[in-house]
Amino acid sequence: MLPYLDQLGPVEPVALAGIVLVVTWLVARGVGGILRAAMQESVPHVAATAVRLSSALIWVVGIVIAVQTLGVATDILLLVVAIAGVALVVAFRVPLENLGAKYFSDVYVPFKAGDTVQVGNHAGKVIEINPISTVLLSEDDHLVSVPNSTFVREVVLNLTPNAWREVVIPVTLDNNVDLPSFESEVRKSLSRLRPRLDPRFPPILTNRARTPGVAELSLVLFVRRPQDREPVATEANRRVSLVLEALRRPRRRWSIAS
Amino acid sequence: MEEPLSICINTQTPLVQLLSPWPATSRQRRVAKELDLDRLKEGQDYRLSPGGVTRMVLPLVERLRSRGTLGKAHWVALNPNAPPKMRYHDLALHNVSIGRARMLGYGVVKEAIWRLAHGLRTPGRPSDLLWTDDFSEYAYYNRSTAELLRRLDRKYDFHLFYIHDFQQLQVGAMLGGLKPKLFRWHIPFGPTTVPPEWGATFEEYLSHYDTVVVSTDRYRSALRDFGYQGDTRRLYPYVDPKEYGYPSPPEIASRCAALGLRPEDEVGLLVARMDPAKGQDRAIRAFARIARKFPRLKLVLVGNGSFSGAKGGLALSKSAQWRSELELLVHRLGLDARVLFTGHVTQETLDALYERSLFTVLPSSKEGFGLVVVESWLHRRPTLVSREAGITEIIRSGRNGLTFDPADEVTLAAQIETLLNDPELRSMMGDEGYRTSSLCSLDNAAIEESKLMEELAEA
Repeated sequence: MLPYLDQLGPVEPVALAGIVLVVTWLVARGVGGILRAAMQESVPHVAATAVRLSSALIWVVGIVIAVQTLGVATDILLLVVAIAGVALVVAFRVPLENLGAKYFSDVYVPFKAGDTVQVGNHAGKVIEINPISTVLLSEDDHLVSVPNSTFVREVVLNLTPNAWREVVIPVTLDNNVDLPSFESEVRKSLSRLRPRLDPRFPPILTNRARTPGVAELSLVLFVRRPQDREPVATEANRRVSLVLEALRRPRRRWSIAS
Repeated sequence: MEEPLSICINTQTPLVQLLSPWPATSRQRRVAKELDLDRLKEGQDYRLSPGGVTRMVLPLVERLRSRGTLGKAHWVALNPNAPPKMRYHDLALHNVSIGRARMLGYGVVKEAIWRLAHGLRTPGRPSDLLWTDDFSEYAYYNRSTAELLRRLDRKYDFHLFYIHDFQQLQVGAMLGGLKPKLFRWHIPFGPTTVPPEWGATFEEYLSHYDTVVVSTDRYRSALRDFGYQGDTRRLYPYVDPKEYGYPSPPEIASRCAALGLRPEDEVGLLVARMDPAKGQDRAIRAFARIARKFPRLKLVLVGNGSFSGAKGGLALSKSAQWRSELELLVHRLGLDARVLFTGHVTQETLDALYERSLFTVLPSSKEGFGLVVVESWLHRRPTLVSREAGITEIIRSGRNGLTFDPADEVTLAAQIETLLNDPELRSMMGDEGYRTSSLCSLDNAAIEESKLMEELAEA
């Protein structure tokens, strides 16, 4: 029980809990904004995840404080949650490791479905990347399921011709961003990088996964020279973040006619 | 396939154009979530798009529905002057609207692709176009369309998407998903259509379609030469012969008189949109060469702008500009009294003009197919056709028509003279053309298209 609660009347704790929630909301928004600005040059996908995680953490803390303010003891609840968390991590260590690896390999390991790769003793065409494993089709027509964590630990060879040209930037859009506007503005912005890009391939935005609220996309760029990969990826990430920021400011729904 | 197919059609040109600005009032915008066109009056409140792709697709949809091949059909098109949803008989029409500024950018790109495909010069280097801000607006239109198709599919669970023409080239890639996607390329496809530096990008977009349909075998092999590995089909464009009337002599006389034609006038007819690619200037110059020999001959030019030129459409003003240039040319050649510009005419008047004409001419520098030749054949009229028109694939020169190099006005003039001097040849060619027209009939198309759709849906 928080010490100051004894001095409050019956109505005040409810009001105080409300104030705590409002403050939580403000802090979550503020921290989200600061993180977005600070991570402007990092991968938008990573920045979005960081914002989501920080927001979730702030809300958990805020809700616990609000519940305490109402006079409910949260010590046991927190203990149960913590033990359950540890149990889950222990029980699902391997899948979680693969899940985490998938997240990082999505962003930092340069291959995608359709590419031909070699990892450890396995080689084949990538035909599926699921949360736990990456499925390869080997030359002798066998399916090889490689745990995603392997791709973070092992040396990965992408054998696809001209694979070095491709810079893939994962982008996640929620429905506060109008997808056609995003695509149009990103194309305009990235056309300024044309001297560094293969003139035959303007940027392409492809779908990875779609749900009614979220569009997971890949922005694919083709560089002219291998040494341009890293600077182009950094600059493209920055430009994507700027476009997202600009489009988020006036909160709009997807505005297509239906 | 027992269950009727549920399909979603996508064209740039809308099936219906409203004749007054929409919304007239803000209340209209609020209340009319779905505008029922059956409660409005055709000709007064709206008009069906007069030509091109929509004129082919609507009869096909109606025919396939009556055969039981098609069930639900939805049609998505670019229609800035319309509410988001309209209903025309049993067809659900969904309209995509993009802002005025984006529309201009989109128009620049689609015009440039169209010009390239028709062998005309484009402003700037083609290699630059894919990197311009205008191309971003082209992508905006395509993405808006793809998003709408995706939402409709979630709601209606279509068997397949039927996407028409180059304006929607990116839609297949943007739509993704598992549903079959059929793409029909209506304009010419040849070595000049896609500049080498566009090749990889075009192939990437085309590869997302299950089947690409083109209008001639020539385009099909060009598509293969270009490196496209996917499934391709050749289906001839088509018309519904039942849509063409054969007016009585008094009606022909009265409709032609209303246009200023005298009973003694002889008519050469050119039916085409007002566009430099249609080559009206060539026909005028060829006509000038023989005008003195045939003092009663008049050249009648029918047609005005397309959806792209219309105020309710993209409002690109090329048709008006081209007509002014042609009028100037006619004046310079001293043919003011001999060349008649009718603009758009009703189907009844067009039928009367076909019946009245001695021959028709299609002098395009490049023509995807040339359905006006089929119209001419349905009226048993002999026709002179540019070798750059896709339909020459079914023309046996001297039998069901005469073909000429569009750059060669002298030959065109000589061929007109030959026809005017030989009524028997005209009659023979008209009859032979009439027989050929069955290759481009709706009956044929309905069989072939439904076979293709069912094959795709079942595959």
